[in-house]
Amino acid sequence: MTKAILKFHPFTIFAALCLTVYGCAPQPTYRAPAPPASSARLPGAPVTPPPAPSQNLPTEAKIREQDIRSKAPATAPAAKTGKEPTRQASVNEARGGAESTPAFPPPLADDSSLLAKITPATSPQRAASLRLTEEGRKILEAGDPARSLTRLEKTIVIDSTNPYGYFYLAKAQHRMGRYKESLNFLDVAESRLGAEPFWLAEIHALRGENFRAQGQLQRAEASYNQALRLNSGNRTAADALGRMQGEPLSAQPATK
Amino acid sequence: MIKSKLRILSISLVALLVVTSSGLVFGAWYLKQLEDKVSEKFEGRKWVFPSKIYSDSYFLYVGASLRSQDLAEKLRRLGYFETQVAPKAKGEYRIAAKAGAVEIYLHDFDSPTEKFKGIPIRITLQGSAIAKIESSADNQELFSIELEPELITGLYERIWQERKVVKLAEVPPLVVKTILAVEDERFFHHYGIDPIGILRAMWVNLRSLSFQQGGSTLTQQLVKNFFLSDERTISRKIPEAVMAVIAERKYSKQTILENYLNEIYLGQRGSQGVFGVWQAAQFYFSKPLTDLTVGETALLAGLIRAPNRLSPYKSAEGATKRRNVVLAKLLDDNIITRKQYDAALLEKLPQRALIKVTNEGPFYVDYLRRELEENYSNAVLTKEGLRIFSTLDLQLQRMAERALVEGLKKLEESHPALRPKGDEEGLEGAIVVLRPQTGEIKAMVGGRNYGRSQFNRVFQAKRQPGSVFKPFVYLAALMYGGQSGTKYSPDTVVNDSQFTWSYDNQEWQPHNYNNEYFGAVTFRRALENSLNSATARVAQDVGIKRVRDLAHKLGIQSPLPAVPALALGAAEVTPLEIAVAYATLANGGSRVRPLAVKQVLDQSTKVLEKRDVKMEQVLNAQIAFAINQLLKGVLDRGTAAMARRAGFTRPAAGKTGTTNDYKDAWFVGYTPDLLAVVWVGFDGPKKIGLSGAEAALPIWTEFMKNATASMPVTDFVGPLVKPDTDDGKCGAAKTDAETGDCVAPAPPAKTAAGV
Repeated sequence: MTKAILKFHPFTIFAALCLTVYGCAPQPTYRAPAPPASSARLPGAPVTPPPAPSQNLPTEAKIREQDIRSKAPATAPAAKTGKEPTRQASVNEARGGAESTPAFPPPLADDSSLLAKITPATSPQRAASLRLTEEGRKILEAGDPARSLTRLEKTIVIDSTNPYGYFYLAKAQHRMGRYKESLNFLDVAESRLGAEPFWLAEIHALRGENFRAQGQLQRAEASYNQALRLNSGNRTAADALGRMQGEPLSAQPATK
Repeated sequence: MIKSKLRILSISLVALLVVTSSGLVFGAWYLKQLEDKVSEKFEGRKWVFPSKIYSDSYFLYVGASLRSQDLAEKLRRLGYFETQVAPKAKGEYRIAAKAGAVEIYLHDFDSPTEKFKGIPIRITLQGSAIAKIESSADNQELFSIELEPELITGLYERIWQERKVVKLAEVPPLVVKTILAVEDERFFHHYGIDPIGILRAMWVNLRSLSFQQGGSTLTQQLVKNFFLSDERTISRKIPEAVMAVIAERKYSKQTILENYLNEIYLGQRGSQGVFGVWQAAQFYFSKPLTDLTVGETALLAGLIRAPNRLSPYKSAEGATKRRNVVLAKLLDDNIITRKQYDAALLEKLPQRALIKVTNEGPFYVDYLRRELEENYSNAVLTKEGLRIFSTLDLQLQRMAERALVEGLKKLEESHPALRPKGDEEGLEGAIVVLRPQTGEIKAMVGGRNYGRSQFNRVFQAKRQPGSVFKPFVYLAALMYGGQSGTKYSPDTVVNDSQFTWSYDNQEWQPHNYNNEYFGAVTFRRALENSLNSATARVAQDVGIKRVRDLAHKLGIQSPLPAVPALALGAAEVTPLEIAVAYATLANGGSRVRPLAVKQVLDQSTKVLEKRDVKMEQVLNAQIAFAINQLLKGVLDRGTAAMARRAGFTRPAAGKTGTTNDYKDAWFVGYTPDLLAVVWVGFDGPKKIGLSGAEAALPIWTEFMKNATASMPVTDFVGPLVKPDTDDGKCGAAKTDAETGDCVAPAPPAKTAAGV
């Protein structure tokens, strides 16, 4: 009987996952925000047991959770059962958790340099497209999203499979306040991206920024969490979750 | 007697008084009218500025395919001229064939978002690809360069006056002095008309018994250009003289001179008239006024008398002779020194071919204009000098025009029934070319002959798509499966036999081409060979409403009836809608909006409008990849296999379309980077009697062979969804199109011969 509980109880599985990850992972680079989210965001909400998995999740968040599941490290036996931590639990983890337990894998090495991706084996189209993406990124960082858009549009003309071009197009659209367009480009970027958790995390973090700007805070939070699961060193997601701590959930607009 | 004489006298005096007073009143009124007219012109809007439409810019990068002859043609169209020595001035280029290099001294170029400074560059070619780009000035390696957009046409009323207005202070003194010396040397000493000048001109003309010299002052010339016609009659000369005096009385010499320098007509570039000294310097010498040499200044001033007859583009001899006359005059008047004179005589005339502005891509321009008219009035478009940057690729546009015109001609030659008899309408066609990644419309030919019919069949003609619609049925089947529970894949066996589809108390029976039925066939073969009955069965299983909704999702905007015949394309859509829907497939499931206008700038280069690329992932990328693989089979083995036999070998997908009544023949085909839709038919009810493969496909093939000749060969790439190795990389593992794992190569083709 005890064995059965240990085997199937979701909290047991969750605890096993947390402990396994905690045991194996070094501390993340970015500080996980300290106070437990549940108390700050949902006054009076029970910390345990957590709500039923994905009960109130928006459709997209559900899909993302499933994606994460497929990418979860296989070290925790619990992960193989297919049982997912709840959204609330994941928020806790992002913020240090009720027990301040870091639940994320170690931060990934910085893979943001596009020029470093150019090797002798890179096709000329991809190389030219990456160089232009880098130029577009610099223009964007210099504060000229409109000009960077013009440059970045060329990157996908030269190489329509360059996911980074789409990502920075999304970023430029975000900077211009066009959140819906930005989300559209992120979808395309994601469909063009391979197994690059660093960049997937960037995509999810920017998706979170767009949702947040649209007032869809729950979706934003889910996206930030996904970003941190993929790369606990993702500063955008970590900072954003930190900023969101003080915002009462009751003030959030209803998720579409 | 005396009394009566006195009476007559007094009546006469009164009459005289009345006539004189009336004359004076009328004269005063007339003068006032002329004065108002002069004031209105000088103080109001003097000139209108046509808006100009530019093509897209041309981007070159290391590794890009490039044929030197294509580049040379592009450079010539952009006004560059070839030299035999290394380019020394902006606008020159040299093809060093032996060294496999092209050297270009780039023009300065103000794009809507940034300014490019013209620099000398060297492009080294290896085979037909760019191996290296470097700055000739410092040998610094460059990875990419952008050539300026080409002028396509202007939007104007009546005549196209091309000018840039400059202040008098911006015109070099030598230019002013030279023009005054040859056109009106007493300008600063007369009051609008110059009796001394007139007498001198009369004397010269009398002596030679021909018209050698005009007596018009520069002010009179300006007045004539502003208000009056070219005819040399007294009735024109009198108001001209009066208005010249009025202008001189009201305005300063500097104001009059400045207006003259901007107004004067100085040449013709196809449909574009060259007005003002600034524009002339650009047109003849490709340089700003401040950079003109003494010889160039003399040539420019000498042109005023007869710009077209004396043009160096027309006659180097005539232009040189006239220039030398002007130089002699400058020397006589001590405006230049003997040394300057001698040096100027040795200057070579610009030796360049005249690149005419010929209103290219008229169907595209009409489409673009319609888009613009949503935001700008006709008056603004024709008078405010907007600069409109478009997505058009002139090279592709010309290829598309040529492919359509020649393709239709060949069809008429091989099928005499298609030739018009008497007043009958002729065979028509349309092509629209899109870049699937961005939605940019790269070329558009809305008909065979714009002069004869301006009806743009690309976006104004609603035609039945026929079998071109079928891929949407198959796509819906792959996405949703059948209501029967069938999960469709390329190898699913479907039934191609006659059947009746009952719906809403009606019955519909699809028929195959030539009434040939193949029984059990694979899903793949049914699509590749465009089998009607099998397609209709799939549509019935999936549900026609789902098919309709999916077509809308892909980009079809016309209403589609949810009836069984829709599965075989029994609806009316435009070729542009078809292009957008197929671009969604080519673009891995991301729907793009068709884009013709990129930026609109006003005269001060302020960006009024910027239209960015917009896209939305409306299909799962994996499903899009799968349908692309299936549609590749249409070219490789199916109804469009003729394209392969005709020499179009690069990876491409497509679909033929023929309507049941043989009124419309279509072909839609695309590589990952370029999509073209071809429609052939008659505007009226006449049947073409040919299939899409027979009528539209040859035109498409001819166009695509040329259009993609200098593009890198690319294939459709599937999404990278789930890693299949522990290290998170795809490795060498290959997965099929249905699982979505890693880059899926084309699933092995199964021939349906044995089915």
